[in-house]
Amino acid sequence: MLTEPAGPRQTQGLRVLVVEDEFLIAIDLQLMLEDVGCTVLGPVGTVDDALRILDETRPDVVSLDLNLRGQSSIPVAEKLRALEIPFIVTSAYRTFDFAGGESLTDVTVIGKPVQPRMLIEALSRTCGA
Amino acid sequence: MDLDDLYRLLRVSHVQAQDIVDTIRDPLLVLSGDLTVISANPAFYRTFATDRDSTIGRPLYELGNGQWNVAELRLLLENVIPKSASVADYEMKTEFPNVGSRTLLVSAQRLVHPDDGQRVLLLSIVDATVRRQMEAARDFQINELDHRIKNLMSVTQALTRQTSVEGRTAGEYRTALLGRFDALARSLEVASHKQTPQLRDLAAAVMEPYLEAAPAVAIAEGPVVRLSSSQATSLGLILHEMATNAAKHGALSTASGTVALDWKVVSDEVGPTKVHLRWQERGGPRAAAPSRTGFGTRLIRFTTEFELRGHAELSYEPDGFVAKLSFPSQTS
Repeated sequence: MLTEPAGPRQTQGLRVLVVEDEFLIAIDLQLMLEDVGCTVLGPVGTVDDALRILDETRPDVVSLDLNLRGQSSIPVAEKLRALEIPFIVTSAYRTFDFAGGESLTDVTVIGKPVQPRMLIEALSRTCGA
Repeated sequence: MDLDDLYRLLRVSHVQAQDIVDTIRDPLLVLSGDLTVISANPAFYRTFATDRDSTIGRPLYELGNGQWNVAELRLLLENVIPKSASVADYEMKTEFPNVGSRTLLVSAQRLVHPDDGQRVLLLSIVDATVRRQMEAARDFQINELDHRIKNLMSVTQALTRQTSVEGRTAGEYRTALLGRFDALARSLEVASHKQTPQLRDLAAAVMEPYLEAAPAVAIAEGPVVRLSSSQATSLGLILHEMATNAAKHGALSTASGTVALDWKVVSDEVGPTKVHLRWQERGGPRAAAPSRTGFGTRLIRFTTEFELRGHAELSYEPDGFVAKLSFPSQTS
């Protein structure tokens, strides 16, 4: 089977929840994803807001920043696991040796600064689009 | 052989040995072949809050609460005398009565008495607790700094990517981009180098490039509004977007136009205390809503809602552009 490179076709209409606390990065991710036809939910920048929006709506895939205003976003990762919503992690940290890190097993991690192509490929691969 | 013998032996070697050993701040033990304590130096008693009676003549593994009874350490030490092995900086972290948790580096060496061939073991212990804590703190700080640098690089990329190239020359693009970097730098300066960033200082810092060319900019003196560092950074960029827009299309693009920036603090009985900030342009060209929403406008709206958790009302009135921002004050 041929694997096609990720592009507008794979991401068109994809509902992506962006969880990111730095406002300039959040708006950048939003515009980057909208450029390839995604519908962006959020962005949200706190653990509470992320958990709340997951109660209200179900995204196809989530881009999750691991550190939200000094708070670990592991509770969000755990909820996504429980809801079986695919997600990728964006992080400026090199290592994840903290409590709850097991909920990130096998999750694709994109280092910051985020390269748009890598982000979009990872998102469409992760949700099987 | 005990430490006294050691002192004597070293003295024979023309060294002021006792002074040296007594001034060593690291705990020392001399152990017999079966690892019973023959002698200990003052630093040992001091470090582990113990005394001679509970130490001398007792097996190492029974000292205190049995902290030294670690299988791995035991194996290492039991090889020191028969195999003339040495132990260098074996690290152990353990809890001591009256002392608490300690990180220790244990080293051991075999000594042979020159007169009777008796073999003993000299154990030196370095208390690395503080050093390890400092190293951990330093690693944490380096990791944090690394994180902040990468975040700043991400922010830089975001601004570079989102600054529009459409209908602009390379030079115009560069000017627009550098304007945003400059606003970010000025905002970060106020956010991180003032003990409590204040709205007035932030506005003055971000508007400074526009003040000289346009004495028409009036920034209110008060009231005092303290900002959190993230509020200061985001509000600084918002003000820059309004200023650069005014200089290009609005009141600051003409000689007669004015900009007034003022604010008030509003508390009502329900909800948190809010800051109402008003940017009002007058006397410039007739304001009109842009045909498409540019990044600057999106940034103002997005940042007010996302970062300031407030609301932005942008209106293009005949007299000039007016922006009203409402957001919870930092203390709420």
